[in-house]
Amino acid sequence: MSKFMVIGERIHCISPAIRQAFADRNPEPILLRAKEQLDAGADYLDLNIGPAERGGEELMQWGVKLLQENFDNVPIALDTANMKAIEAGIQVYNRSKGKPIVNSADAGDRIEYVDLAAANDAMVIALCSKEGVPGNNDERIAYCSELLERGMERGMEPTDLLFDPLFIVIKGMQDQLVDVLEAIQMITDMGLLTTGGLSNVSNGAPKHIRPLLDCAVLAMAMQCGFSSAIVNPCDKRLRETIVACDIVKNNILYADSVLEF
Amino acid sequence: MPYKKAEQKFSGKINVCEIGVGDATISIGGENSLPFLGTEGFKTAVGIAISDTTGDWSDCFGTIYGDDLKNPAALAKAAVEKSGADFLLIKLESADPNGADASIESCVATAVAVEAAINVPLVVEGCKNAEKDAKLLEEVAKALEGKNVVLFSAVEDNYKTIGAAGGMAYGQKVSAESAVDINLAKQLNILLTQLGVKSKDIVMDVGTAAAGYGFEYVASTMDRIRLAGLGQNDEALQMPIVTNVSNESWGVKEAVSTLEDAPEWGDQEARGIGMEVTTASACVVGGSNAIIVRHPESAKTIKALVAGIIG
Repeated sequence: MSKFMVIGERIHCISPAIRQAFADRNPEPILLRAKEQLDAGADYLDLNIGPAERGGEELMQWGVKLLQENFDNVPIALDTANMKAIEAGIQVYNRSKGKPIVNSADAGDRIEYVDLAAANDAMVIALCSKEGVPGNNDERIAYCSELLERGMERGMEPTDLLFDPLFIVIKGMQDQLVDVLEAIQMITDMGLLTTGGLSNVSNGAPKHIRPLLDCAVLAMAMQCGFSSAIVNPCDKRLRETIVACDIVKNNILYADSVLEF
Repeated sequence: MPYKKAEQKFSGKINVCEIGVGDATISIGGENSLPFLGTEGFKTAVGIAISDTTGDWSDCFGTIYGDDLKNPAALAKAAVEKSGADFLLIKLESADPNGADASIESCVATAVAVEAAINVPLVVEGCKNAEKDAKLLEEVAKALEGKNVVLFSAVEDNYKTIGAAGGMAYGQKVSAESAVDINLAKQLNILLTQLGVKSKDIVMDVGTAAAGYGFEYVASTMDRIRLAGLGQNDEALQMPIVTNVSNESWGVKEAVSTLEDAPEWGDQEARGIGMEVTTASACVVGGSNAIIVRHPESAKTIKALVAGIIG
């Protein structure tokens, strides 16, 4: 098994500092967040430029080049609702450290993002949903199959789709969280890879409780085969949990200084 | 149905490590596949081992080297000529406090003389006393500055001195010795890297056993190290592996027993070579990027084996 893949979520236009940096084409705040995440062990960086309806293509190309030129062609998840911007980003993307990831497709309005990934030999995050959060695992697996078929029809390798079961919020939907874990196990049993936005789990919980919930869910999900996540790698507790689980699962070799490496 | 070659693709790659200077430079490592299975060609470097203490060496070496056995510089030159080896290892065994306890100065002088006598890269092995080796290899690193030698080897108890001297102050290569302990192999690489030694200046001495003497454990250790480096892209295990099989191979009863001791086993020299070649070839296919033997015939045989596999 390969080790858990961490997609760093912190270059996101929802952050005022990053939004301003995008607007001004100011590299500093973006490079700072990229470095923090890479130093903390991120494998991929998510580059979320928001809806980017105007100027998205140029912005995405600027962002991809900025990150790859400064960080040894770091692999990137290109994250926007603007498909043309993703395509433009891939045009300038250097693949030496990993394929680009298209973030994201679903089985509804966004199914064409699978086509986009297939046409550009990219990976894609495939949300197992159509409209909102799926009601149960029958739905999740049906959407997963739909997305898988779509990708394979267009020549994709099944492992180039990262299926997101959609983590639900504990507050209010606590009774359904085990379903998500079960879905991860079912998708893994099909020989497929998974990912997801983990922090959704603890949304709305007090700040000191959130890492606890995130870590517990992550560890349980990894036991079910969860293979990557979109997270804040600078969360020390989470990072340590990932390393510990990777060791327990024999994904990485143990050494006394494994946390410091 | 046409034959389709199944190839396992790995995300990781073994570092390239250069040893020696000028025309004599050799590079080891660089593969992104298990040994001999890649398209790039996996070429194991073959080294010949000598020592400043050859009193307990098998009689056959007296026949091969004559009086040169007592003179490390002359022995070095003869060993390289007779074996055609890619590099040479000098073991400064006389430094051992529990043995001859020779001074650091005299051992350093030996290393310098040996280096001057040969035109291939040099590996300097200590006496396996951690405290003495720290001082000894530090001084060797200093005296041979600019020669890009391998300090063989740093252990948990002396890696700071040897790493700082060799890998940083005097620009040598540092070998990290882990005695067939995979977790320690990774740990030492992490510690050396944290100290400031560059990954490309580190090689791994993961240890060995003579064939038939628990070698399975060596084989699985090498396998796991390589699979972690290649498959898991574990940067703390992507250093080339250097294995000296000479001490183990020539120390077991099959090599040590004389013809009088065991007449039914036949010629002692052939037995020693047999043990050494068997052990060395197992290490070569297990992933050693450089292999070190004592007998010139062993060196030639392993070189031919490697050339034959590569084709």
